[in-house]
Amino acid sequence: MTTSPDPSEAYYTASQSQLVWVRFKAKRSAMIALWFLMFFVLCGVFAPFLSPYDPSAAGRNADYTNGAPQVPMFCDAQGCAFTPFIHKVERYRGMDTNFRWVTRATDERVYLTLLPKGWEYRLLGVIPMKRHLFGVEEGFIHLFGTDAQGKDIFSRTLHAIGISLAVGTVGVLISFVIALIVGGVAGYFGGWVDTVLQALMDTVKTVPTIPLFMAFAAFIPDTWSAELRFALISMILGLLGWGTLARRIRTHVLAERTADYVLAAKLSGASSGHIIGRHLLPSFTSYIIVDLVISFPYMVLAETALSFIGLGLKDPVNSLGVLLQNVTRVDVMLNYHWYFLPIPIFVLMVLAFVFVGDGLRDAADPYSERR
Amino acid sequence: MAAFARFIAIRFGAAVVVMLLVSLIVFTLMELVPGNCAERYIAYKQTQGQVITEADIRAEEVRMGLDRPYLERWVSWVSGVFLRFDLGESCLWRVDVAQLIGDKIWISLGLCFAALILTYAIAVPVGMASAMLRDGWFDSSLRIISYLGLAIPNFLLALGIMLLSTVFFGETLTGLFSDELRDAPWSAEKLADMLSRAWLPILILGWSATAIQLQTVRALISDEKDKLYVTAARARGLSGAQLMMRYPARHALGPVVNSIGFDLNRIFNDLPIVAAVLVLTDAGALLLDALARSNDQQLAGAIILLLTATIVALNFLTDILLAVIDPRVRKGFF
Repeated sequence: MTTSPDPSEAYYTASQSQLVWVRFKAKRSAMIALWFLMFFVLCGVFAPFLSPYDPSAAGRNADYTNGAPQVPMFCDAQGCAFTPFIHKVERYRGMDTNFRWVTRATDERVYLTLLPKGWEYRLLGVIPMKRHLFGVEEGFIHLFGTDAQGKDIFSRTLHAIGISLAVGTVGVLISFVIALIVGGVAGYFGGWVDTVLQALMDTVKTVPTIPLFMAFAAFIPDTWSAELRFALISMILGLLGWGTLARRIRTHVLAERTADYVLAAKLSGASSGHIIGRHLLPSFTSYIIVDLVISFPYMVLAETALSFIGLGLKDPVNSLGVLLQNVTRVDVMLNYHWYFLPIPIFVLMVLAFVFVGDGLRDAADPYSERR
Repeated sequence: MAAFARFIAIRFGAAVVVMLLVSLIVFTLMELVPGNCAERYIAYKQTQGQVITEADIRAEEVRMGLDRPYLERWVSWVSGVFLRFDLGESCLWRVDVAQLIGDKIWISLGLCFAALILTYAIAVPVGMASAMLRDGWFDSSLRIISYLGLAIPNFLLALGIMLLSTVFFGETLTGLFSDELRDAPWSAEKLADMLSRAWLPILILGWSATAIQLQTVRALISDEKDKLYVTAARARGLSGAQLMMRYPARHALGPVVNSIGFDLNRIFNDLPIVAAVLVLTDAGALLLDALARSNDQQLAGAIILLLTATIVALNFLTDILLAVIDPRVRKGFF
């Protein structure tokens, strides 16, 4: 837009994506959601760097199980400091605790440090690194507290964001490819091919999805590794989630296939695959992208539900569902409320997706400006 | 009238075809589970100290009819289910699935339909009001609730309510029956006990369906209310509720009736998970147990098939209802 001197000229020469972006930017709720979304994606991608401890059992703090969140502070009874600190905890047993081991806070300060060395990881899966964003001089810091095994809930939450985004991405991509093939073929050929494929789409849509997910997920043997499980769960989500998108693509192709440019391509001797892939699909790329963004949170939520009931991902892979597996226990409900801290974060993430999707849908609709 | 009968017949045929396809999918899924019923039964016997040979497994397979070809078994399963209401035998419990599901499926269906009624009882009037008061504070706060309905899945809402209730009232709100009455036979007292506890599962099952339906009703009415026929009616002196009910509401009725089946689907989705969170003892819990723990494919297949059959039946009924109340739909078919 900036290259053209005349702004009115720019409007008519702008490409489809430029127009969509201008309309999207005008919507404040969508822009705020986009910033949130980018923040969450960065959190997920750089989770190992941002989290002070290994989220699996390897990084557990055996002396601080079911520990409360430790909030960094600047002031305590002894005065104030420029560096944030937490109070050191100690294991203690004596007369007053009936000779049982308890963990209690002392008055001793432990200061936070920037970029300390910790457990080894690979940044973005390639660069080996040991530095983490923050840590403490000695002992441990648990911003969100710890679970029953002493695993750091803050680190687990960050990794869970990454895993949930990854599951959603793989699932959406798989369902996208299937929807593209089924919807494209049904719309382009019409007739009995369309009827059969439509009947198939309708049937798949009639069966309640989550019970169907559960039935599929139940086949995965417990003995398989967590990584394999992750791949399979994403595949199952993708394999069952293509119905709505396929129907949309079919409708678009059906409407466009009689257009003059398609006839021109046909007369020039182009094959069916070439016409669908090169001429028809690009004509509504924006709608496809919008639908993908909108279907994303549903994938994430389906994975959460599956993992929550124990049929999805399992330890040591973290996802929101895995994190919530034990929270229905009464002792957790009564005493360890920090187990619930990941929930608001995930609700925010899904909300961000919903708002960005809504904003994109309005922006991609060329008639939205008139309203 | 003959045309209407033909319309019903066509719809019925379509519903039967969908059910057959669904049953084929479900049956294939059941078949894909590693190991069959005979092997599992024999393995169980082995843990009881009996010595089992390969021949015993084969004999058991023949007894159960597992040696017959795949399609033949599907036909016998489907005809058993639809013609004789015989859901087969549970792998694990060695009793009729029908006996195992028994009143649990009725409890589940009752909960789901109550949630469905709640959804429409809230969504239709509130959505219409929201569309009429567009862009006011009422409308904006409703939109926020709708977005939350999308972002907070039902089981997270259930967890949140349970957490608050445990912290503030010391009551977890779980289960459908109190401890004394759980195993008691059905009586007026037990029914009252269940109803006094059923409000939470009903509310939670209906939560996201309500949120989505609210948005749909609001969008439908606000699309219609600025059209010329409404302006014309207003010019003739109609206003307020009378105007709404006579014109835009009747137009919006079709899509709303059409979506009832989808909403039931949405509610069924949450059945097993909400059952897990609230420790219910209904068909959802049974399904979860069959899939997650005992691998009881007969039981799981029967429950999924029953749930889907309910949706298909409801879709069939709403299609006919739509043709009865909407002259435009009738025109298309006659």
